[in-house]
Amino acid sequence: MLLNRKQSGKRWHLRPDGAPKVTGQLQYLTDMTLPDMIHGRVLRSEYPYARILSIDTSEAEALEGVYAVLTSKDVLGLNRFGIATPDQPVFCEDIVRYVGDAIAAVAADSPERAALALDAIRVVYEELTPLNSTDAALAPDAPELHKHGPGNVLHRTEIKRGDAEQAFATCDHIVTETYFTPRQMHAYMETEGGLFVPDEEGRLNVYAATQHGYKDRMQLARIIGCPEEDIRVVSSPIGGSFGGKDELNVQPYGALLALRCGRPVKMHNSRKESVRAGLKRHPMKIEMQTGMSREGIIQAHRVRITADTGAYATLGAPVLNFCTEHCLGPYAIPNVDVEGVSVYTNNGLSGEFRGFGGNQAIFAMEGQMDRLAEIMNMDPWEFRRRNMREKNDPGPLNQRILVTDGLSQVWEALDRSELWQKHQSPPADPALPPWIKRGVGAAIAMHGAGLGYGIPDPAGGRLSLNNEGKIEVAFSYEEFGQGLIATLEIMLCDLFQCSTSDLSIIIGDTDRVPHSGSSTASRSTTMAWMALQRLQTPFRSHVLTVASALSGVPADELVTGPGGVWRKGQLPAETSEVESESGFVVSYAELATQGEADEWIFDTKFDYPTTPDNVVGGHYLYTYAAVAAEVEVNTLTGETKLLDTRHVVAAGPVINPMGYIGQIEGGSVMALGFTLTEDAVMQDSRYVTTNLDTYLIPTIQDIHTNLEVEAIEDLPEGDAFGPRGIGEIGSVALAPAITAAIHQATGIWVNRLPVPREQLVRPLNVPLQEGVSPS
Amino acid sequence: MSKPLENHWTAVVNGEEKHLEIAQTTRLVDVLRTHLQLTGTKVSCEVGRCGACMVLMDGEPVNSCLVMAYQCAGSDIMTIEGLHGDEKGTLHPIQQAFVEEGGFQCGYCTPGMVISTKALLDAHPEPSQEQIETGLCGNLCRCTGYGGIIRAVRKAGERCVVKETSAEETVS
Ligand code: FES
Ligand code: FES
Repeated sequence: MLLNRKQSGKRWHLRPDGAPKVTGQLQYLTDMTLPDMIHGRVLRSEYPYARILSIDTSEAEALEGVYAVLTSKDVLGLNRFGIATPDQPVFCEDIVRYVGDAIAAVAADSPERAALALDAIRVVYEELTPLNSTDAALAPDAPELHKHGPGNVLHRTEIKRGDAEQAFATCDHIVTETYFTPRQMHAYMETEGGLFVPDEEGRLNVYAATQHGYKDRMQLARIIGCPEEDIRVVSSPIGGSFGGKDELNVQPYGALLALRCGRPVKMHNSRKESVRAGLKRHPMKIEMQTGMSREGIIQAHRVRITADTGAYATLGAPVLNFCTEHCLGPYAIPNVDVEGVSVYTNNGLSGEFRGFGGNQAIFAMEGQMDRLAEIMNMDPWEFRRRNMREKNDPGPLNQRILVTDGLSQVWEALDRSELWQKHQSPPADPALPPWIKRGVGAAIAMHGAGLGYGIPDPAGGRLSLNNEGKIEVAFSYEEFGQGLIATLEIMLCDLFQCSTSDLSIIIGDTDRVPHSGSSTASRSTTMAWMALQRLQTPFRSHVLTVASALSGVPADELVTGPGGVWRKGQLPAETSEVESESGFVVSYAELATQGEADEWIFDTKFDYPTTPDNVVGGHYLYTYAAVAAEVEVNTLTGETKLLDTRHVVAAGPVINPMGYIGQIEGGSVMALGFTLTEDAVMQDSRYVTTNLDTYLIPTIQDIHTNLEVEAIEDLPEGDAFGPRGIGEIGSVALAPAITAAIHQATGIWVNRLPVPREQLVRPLNVPLQEGVSPS
Repeated sequence: MSKPLENHWTAVVNGEEKHLEIAQTTRLVDVLRTHLQLTGTKVSCEVGRCGACMVLMDGEPVNSCLVMAYQCAGSDIMTIEGLHGDEKGTLHPIQQAFVEEGGFQCGYCTPGMVISTKALLDAHPEPSQEQIETGLCGNLCRCTGYGGIIRAVRKAGERCVVKETSAEETVS
């Protein structure tokens, strides 16, 4: 189904957070203030790599209006954090490993005074030569950035199947290429920050963005050295995250300062500080060698992935796992030899980012497919079909996966599309000047959802009738813009035929929600759906039993509806204030007064579905996408303009069409930036692009206004997992489609992102003037 | 001792006269967010690139992170809090269109985007695609990919025009 407002009809659901957002009334956590609050700031390293010889804070402490100056000796508990591997110091003790490393933090009565205090801290360093590339870090004599070595390797991966070497020897054609992808920045519009408030009961209230409030709470408790229950983390609404706010950022500093000063502390990173300290997408080098038979059937695939993970682990290992899994694409390849390595360097901090390593892998693998197809002189889409995995084939890691038709469906839908048809016979437009070239390209992807086998991936949720008579759900997910609250509203209204005013939706507050996992890895929608499937029956049956006892109408003649319980078959057609209508039996508010409050609360706990096979990181649920792109290349300037795109996505039923379109459009434009302009450039391990004036994300002038989204909603009959998340799938396959289109337009194979413009510039064929040398 | 005179700042903000004692080099974005607690105006890049801090100053869109107190003293400033429909507490047609068309996700860019749209539609009630692109290219959005924003601006344009014509008709 082509997804747009018209097609969606009544399912076009207005977001409940709409009005507060468009009027500016919504308070983000960085907008919060309290009358007696003070301001926190962090002193970060002057060098990407250095030994700290001494830190003198006395001058800063003596400044008027300065309440506290903290260094590593003031950390009450563990001086480390990190979701997976806690190896990042809250405050460095002896060594700094990147320009964002924190050395001290101050709290003062104004932001200006806090800045003065930072200036007054004297740190003496012994500067060391930074490991500014993975090559430098892997050199045998390179210093080890962390003690746990060997060398500077964070993590290695490997997939070996068949005998690749022997298979290559029998291949008729082999394509060898090395692909490079950039250090992309999340560039969420709201930079990190929040308010940290100690209260009279001795608890600490943390109002700061995260994708997993409970994980923050656990890490903060470890840093402070207190029980987790002493901390409350409020973590929504969020002004964008895309994976970038999943790790702790300002929280350790805000928390420690607030506890030391006994007052509310506000932190809000400037953009420059956010760039310097924050996560980026892993830059990767992916070497690929792919061999095929004379008939165009792939026989062997060799891959070497090198990921620059920067100074600390964060989620570098899982990202590499994901990349390794996805660099085989949705293809059946008998002989496979893949090795990946994630390397510590002094280049900033790489971590989680929408697509999670899939984007890099898919760019490379799809690039191979186009190159191979060209050797065969074959339509690249047909070439893909020949090599695609069959419906019942195992997943990329040879693991069992949930069988769906998604892959062939997206392939066929794109094949039929008008845009892809253009590829067959690129329209010659005589009106175009000769230096403007047009081309069409396409790419396909399967993308895993959930955290993968072997990583704890708990889910759950709570459904209750609260004492105000609202149907209340509580999840530990976060709203960072994706429209989760709207999706929950739609799901609940569908389940209970109630109206939105009957609902209370609670997220993003550890004091009010149960442990139900994080909002990451395109999983919230699936998790919420699965939780509600489990909770709806016990909840409904309790509601109807009590309603029956009150009214004398047998429970099996009752249904839930707007405002309360109704006689079956007499629900009003439209939800409205309808209690006076004849079929109405009893209101939710009245029901809520019956019995103990506890009786109205239903909880569930379960794990995100994983493959039954023991392959670490292997996924069980996948979503599928095919993307076509038409570009126009100006061979005088090297500029590429994306003219038209079509995204076909197979992710199960569309619950929330507005959210779905928005996620695909947003992901697509983010991928456009990844492809054409975005790179957080570093020189000697320092950022050169420090703000949005040099780090260029797409503007409204750069986008493809013809973007079309086609959703394939089929799932196997009786599917137990419901709608799949689509938070990432829009961002993973555009890059190879664009570079394929560039190739059709210009004949140039691009292997590096963002596409180097100079590579696309062709000199005008003009006669040389006398005295001008041709090179 | 009374404060030095030069620290006195006056302006009309959202129709109300405001007096503050602040340094003349305070940025307008801080005047609004910190001193007047009008946090609808957002801050993001602080170098005039992202448009999150956009406000109208004497009817013209400006990045409030680039304007200092002395530059806007005495002027008429409108922030997102000052925009509403026919009555206070109702949505302006632009805001309504953003809600209906999915012109926002996280919403952090939205106040600036809405203000720029207001300036755009004031200048071009029926904007062409090119005018929309020029009018909004100073506002970055990382979430929506701009699709919903463009649909919202078009719809708001249609509504504003319809409204104005009908208003004229009633007058005549
Ligand atoms: S904060 Fe003013 S333009 Fe970005
Ligand atoms: S809606 Fe998030 S930046 Fe625009």
